[in-house]
Amino acid sequence: MSEDRGDRARRPRGRKPRRKVCTFCVDKIQHIDYKDIARLRRFTSERGKILPRRMSGTCAKHQRQLSTAIKRARQIALLPYTTD
Amino acid sequence: MNQYEVMYVIDTALEEQARSELINRFSNLVAQNGGTVDRVDEWGKRRLAYAINYKTEGYYVLMYITAPADLPRELERNFRIADAVLRSLVIRFEGPIPAKREPLKPFVAREAAPAAEAPVEAAAAPAAEAAAPAEAPAEEADSEAPKAEIE
Repeated sequence: MSEDRGDRARRPRGRKPRRKVCTFCVDKIQHIDYKDIARLRRFTSERGKILPRRMSGTCAKHQRQLSTAIKRARQIALLPYTTD
Repeated sequence: MNQYEVMYVIDTALEEQARSELINRFSNLVAQNGGTVDRVDEWGKRRLAYAINYKTEGYYVLMYITAPADLPRELERNFRIADAVLRSLVIRFEGPIPAKREPLKPFVAREAAPAAEAPVEAAAAPAAEAAAPAEAPAEEADSEAPKAEIE
């Protein structure tokens, strides 16, 4: 991230650094399963919050699926709502 | 007729016989209401992500069913009545039933893990003398670490 910031300073105003690619699109995943907690874990913060798109680079379509999957996993106690 | 994926968590305090009776009861409920149970997966004991009624463990059961649209409601009603059911989730499901896979290892597997790691360390000690083979056990240890995290 620190590299990005340096990059942005050099670039003209308004231009963004290289966009991250959606890992679900790369893996060609059509449907995100709420049972796949190993994968879902990577998209939650240490405190159990869902990471925003700007951090994970997930595309809009997959982010929507991801958030429902995480919420389902939370309901059934596969993932925590919060951790302290 | 729709396909549904049903998951529920049973209290581990329930004895094995009472537990299988409960699982059968839900399966029968589906059959009696004009549905078919396509598959029942018992994940077994797992640690809960958060405590439910001061319990830290639950017995996970996953069920794939084909049923008329009014069944989920009845099923959920029964889940709420059963005291031993800590959590339940019924969702619509499309496409073929996935092959049985176990990415989510049961809670019990954790006890077996230290036993498996011990010989690796024992093997690493003599191998450390020879520089080249020492790398192999180290890699094995790395691959075991993420598994422990998942559990």
